[in-house]
Amino acid sequence: MSRYRVSMDIGGTFTDVVAYDELRRDYSAGKSSTTPADLTEGVFSALEQVVDSPADISFTVHGTTQGLNAFLERRGSKVLLLVTEGTGDVYQIARGPRLNLYDLHYRKPKPLVRRRDTVEIPGRLDYAGRERTPLDEEAVRQAAKRFDAEGFEALAVAFLFSYRNPAHELRAAEILREELGEHVSISLSHRVAREWREYERTSSTVLDAYIGPTVRGYLERLEGEMRRRGLGVTLHVMQSSGGMVSASAARDVTLQTLLSGPVGGTMGGVALARLLGRPNLICVDMGGTSFDVSLVVEGKPDVSTETEIEGFPLLMPVVNIHTIGAGGGSIAYEEAGGLRVGPESAGAEPGPVAYGRGGTRPTVTDANVVLGRVDPSFFAGGRMRLDVEAARAALAALGGRFGLSATALAEGICDVVNANMGQAIRTLTVAKGIEPRGFSLVAFGGAGAMHAVFLARELEIREVVVPPLPGAFSAWGMLETAVRTDLSHAFYSGLGRADREELAKLLEQMELEGRSALSGQGVAEPDVRVEHSLDLRYEGQEYTLVVGLDALEEVRSPRFEELVAERFHATHSRRFGHANPGAPIEVVALRTTVLGDLGRPDPAPKPVEEGRTWTSRRRRVVFGGEEHETEVVRRADLPIGAQLSGPAIVVEETATTVVPPGSSLRVDPLGTIIIDVGP
Amino acid sequence: MTTTVPATVTQAAPGGSGEIDPITTEIIRSGLNAAADEMNATLIRSAYTPVIYEMKDCSVGLLDDRHQILGQSAGLPIFLGNLEVVTELTELEIGREGWREGDVWILNDAYLAGTHLHDMTVYGPVFLGEDLVGFATCRAHWLDVGGKDAGSPTDSTNIFQEGLRLGPTKVVSGGQVIDYVVDVLTRNGRFPYPARGDLFAQIACVRTGQERLARLVARYGLETVRRARDQFFAQTERIERAAVASIPDGRYTAEGSIDDDGVVAGVERMVRVAVEIEGDRMTIDLSGTDDMAAGPINCGAPQAVSAARVAYKLLVNPDRPVDGGAFRPLEVKVRPGSLLAAEEPAPCEWYFTPLGLLIDLVAKALSPVMPDRVAAASYGDSMVIGIGGTDPRTGGPYLVYEPTVGGWGAWQGGDGQDALINNVNGSLKDVPIEVAETKYPVYVRRYSIRRDSGGAGRWRGGNGVEREYLLEADGTMMLWFERSKTPGWGLFGGHDARPPEVVVNEGRPGERRMLKVNGLSLKRGDTVTCRTGGGGGFGDPSLRSREAVEADLADGAVSPEAARELYGYAPVHAASGESASSRTGGNR
Repeated sequence: MSRYRVSMDIGGTFTDVVAYDELRRDYSAGKSSTTPADLTEGVFSALEQVVDSPADISFTVHGTTQGLNAFLERRGSKVLLLVTEGTGDVYQIARGPRLNLYDLHYRKPKPLVRRRDTVEIPGRLDYAGRERTPLDEEAVRQAAKRFDAEGFEALAVAFLFSYRNPAHELRAAEILREELGEHVSISLSHRVAREWREYERTSSTVLDAYIGPTVRGYLERLEGEMRRRGLGVTLHVMQSSGGMVSASAARDVTLQTLLSGPVGGTMGGVALARLLGRPNLICVDMGGTSFDVSLVVEGKPDVSTETEIEGFPLLMPVVNIHTIGAGGGSIAYEEAGGLRVGPESAGAEPGPVAYGRGGTRPTVTDANVVLGRVDPSFFAGGRMRLDVEAARAALAALGGRFGLSATALAEGICDVVNANMGQAIRTLTVAKGIEPRGFSLVAFGGAGAMHAVFLARELEIREVVVPPLPGAFSAWGMLETAVRTDLSHAFYSGLGRADREELAKLLEQMELEGRSALSGQGVAEPDVRVEHSLDLRYEGQEYTLVVGLDALEEVRSPRFEELVAERFHATHSRRFGHANPGAPIEVVALRTTVLGDLGRPDPAPKPVEEGRTWTSRRRRVVFGGEEHETEVVRRADLPIGAQLSGPAIVVEETATTVVPPGSSLRVDPLGTIIIDVGP
Repeated sequence: MTTTVPATVTQAAPGGSGEIDPITTEIIRSGLNAAADEMNATLIRSAYTPVIYEMKDCSVGLLDDRHQILGQSAGLPIFLGNLEVVTELTELEIGREGWREGDVWILNDAYLAGTHLHDMTVYGPVFLGEDLVGFATCRAHWLDVGGKDAGSPTDSTNIFQEGLRLGPTKVVSGGQVIDYVVDVLTRNGRFPYPARGDLFAQIACVRTGQERLARLVARYGLETVRRARDQFFAQTERIERAAVASIPDGRYTAEGSIDDDGVVAGVERMVRVAVEIEGDRMTIDLSGTDDMAAGPINCGAPQAVSAARVAYKLLVNPDRPVDGGAFRPLEVKVRPGSLLAAEEPAPCEWYFTPLGLLIDLVAKALSPVMPDRVAAASYGDSMVIGIGGTDPRTGGPYLVYEPTVGGWGAWQGGDGQDALINNVNGSLKDVPIEVAETKYPVYVRRYSIRRDSGGAGRWRGGNGVEREYLLEADGTMMLWFERSKTPGWGLFGGHDARPPEVVVNEGRPGERRMLKVNGLSLKRGDTVTCRTGGGGGFGDPSLRSREAVEADLADGAVSPEAARELYGYAPVHAASGESASSRTGGNR
């Protein structure tokens, strides 16, 4: 019987599985160690914890870090790059910015393709896509020979103006397949990103080629293995955009799965926004070595049309996840009589002093341990012993330099790190024209909820949300997502002068292409939703703003220019605090997003268990320089509707929630912890 | 005569003594830097022109009421620490009582601020109740401020040809924008919309700073903030002094030339640097530099001080944020009337040309005693080409205006980088060919790395580039290519790089070479080939590893001839032909 919607977050260390039971309208989670040799082993061992038979599964989605890891560890394929004659160095020049201004020894990111592995092919189009010089087919055949002879594994083809006219790229691909066979891995720039700017498009295409064979091989193996084990439904993959795609369609442009793993957390924020009726969320994921922030605005993930990774630009829609700190591993130290915390991190090895793995310099985690905010007997579900005394000694030694006791310094370290993180979040939101005050703060990751209330106070945020299953939040979030195809097309024109017939035709064509992609993935017509938008800017600007169209018909309306201009001025004003009404506006690109709704969980609210009590212990924890008798309770013991006033600490397997004095907690009918931050 | 410009205002501020705990100090210190970051974020995201948000041709700072830097966010390096001059000079003019809550001011005078008229400094006081507690300031480069030519004139002979010039001018009064001032500002340039957009972005930035600083002071109290300030200034000063003290005492000198001033051809202008280290103090003496020039390469004293601070910062504690204690060990000397302390009516449009050279010269001077920190010289200047005219496709005007990337110097342990933008252009990116050809009637035939242009060395200097334009419409051209007389020099036996060159109609009838020109007429079908210089090499080339030379050959960074002559490389004549360049199209 089909009753489970299942998501899988296959990370480097653990595989998390979340199953939503459509009968009981409830979730359950399973966890296992990731099994790199055959990932399905880990997946199925986690799956067995929550689902009786694979035949009961009606839907699956998963997030993968295969492509990302191949890139980060530089284990990608050997790529031969074909470009237009005269532009062989565009990829090496990389537009020439110095990303660190105070560095005499600055180095550019090392290109993924060496200069010698770039082949210039005669054949040139002009800015309108008209042929100036025909494609030199013989040169393409020569390149194919070199590919074979020198053991290349993937081809990237990025010709000038292919976004206007892909004929040369398509013909080159045809020749390459003739020479090298149907199965050779070819990435064409106009397929990866149909946008202008040759360096950015080439960089995207090279990365697609670089991870392509790895990701395709992985998807084929995983899908085959799942089918063999009796799981018959379509396997979906998360995309960097926060949408999903069927595994077979993902093989076409693998680049879109690059950030497949991390986006689940943001989609969890989107799910919370819907379920809690709180459209604006700041999601913080704080672990032992990282601190990541993402935003949900008006119920939608914060998606950009381009991004960069380790200095390489990528033209693709991507959910923004900002890494802004070192998390619990940040080291505290003395410098010239001043106290500093981070950015240096103790990392996982040696880790904080309390881990007893050889760390000697006190970290934020050590500070939390000494303050009593971490339960030493239930850390990592009780599987790991913490050396509280070693942490205290390290803090006392550093504190001695400032005339501070271990606990005074520990609290100071937390104050400094909370202030720093709060300010970093504020700068990030201000850059987007967002005032954080009206947002709720969602905390996940091992240390997120330990600091969340303090961060919220720093940002003048009133409410902190700790989701159910915070340890599998990323997998949980994936169940919220829809099938998504993003199409873009360069279109450069003044808004007033734009050929609207051509504009409408291009959008129609993109819509058609998107709809056909979705129907190919088994999405039924009534479940499809289409969003059209334009990238606009004032003439003279470089950055664009995305402005949505209510419907495609608007393009043919006599009021088109007026409507769009009005929207653009308003968007500009909201985002930047000022607009330039009357200034000429230009169109730079067209975008179409086609979404296919495959349903999502609708968990049943649970009744308040009135009168039910829970067991708890008391421990002395330092807040505001004083020890407080603090209630410590396991999250699993807290009934729906439970209310607690700070100081209190809620512990669970993967996370600790600190409720300081002045704040109070309640458990809502979905099992979410909601904290009123207090004054 | 020599005048000393103090690198920082060091008078003691009142009320800054007493005890304060290190936690509060650290929270306030990082809070001030975060406030500056927030100002920067406001400016960059809302700025209208790429000059600001991409070249980072801007800078923001929060100052205390004594004009000392509380927090600064990194923008363009050459704007380091010269914002305080503007509020100080304004206060001299209007008096301390002239500062009013809710006011915002603007100034661009080249001699007061030190740069060219394109740079607008916008600033305002911060009050908490009756108390003046500090200032929020920002500077950004505007696309156009009038002046005789669109873009930047290369041949101006006085400041009045270069555009609108403002002393301290109030643009917002008690929170109300003064419309007629905005009108003056936008009416005097060729691009009123961007001017308006950038002005409001700067005002928004200053307001952010005013608000953040006022909140911070309100939260912790003025006394506490002042005590924290004194603490972290003192911490910074200790760190800086310790770093300077580790450099051996002595007097270290270097000099180099600018090809010419853009007006008087064939006359080089010398920039001379003497760095003196005495214990924990460093003096950068620029007074030996030539007199003011007739053409627009002059620079106001505050900006020369700022560039010297950049040079200092690149070598001493480059990763530390700047505050009022950062430059206490540094003194900078300039000579009034020299081209680094220009006076009215000297033209200043290309004020940064001597500064790029100055920064590299400080590194050269100190290379004997800081060999592991310095680098050989870079290609050195912005290398600007501008082509304008009427676009036959639209009937409207067009203006291509691009700085060009080039090679950077090698250092101990690393090759110089190929094709990077110069110091004063921040993180500017080149113009994509697809964008250039779509927007302008030009055809970019080639954009490639210029082989053999970097200086040879154990660590090789980075290569410059070659960019060839074919004009598809008649037009006029301006060029500002520099540093042919002092190309990127090598260090410790590394060779000098090749200088830049620009050729019109190369290999065709009417071939002409030039580096600077203003208003040259070109015809449809003409070609312009720009080649930028490389960076200097570091260390004796004969010590370069064979594998490194072979990789250079395979990648076409070095020609077989250069490999043989400069590196003594002899190919192994094996059947594999390993050492031959196998790169298609690599024949350049």
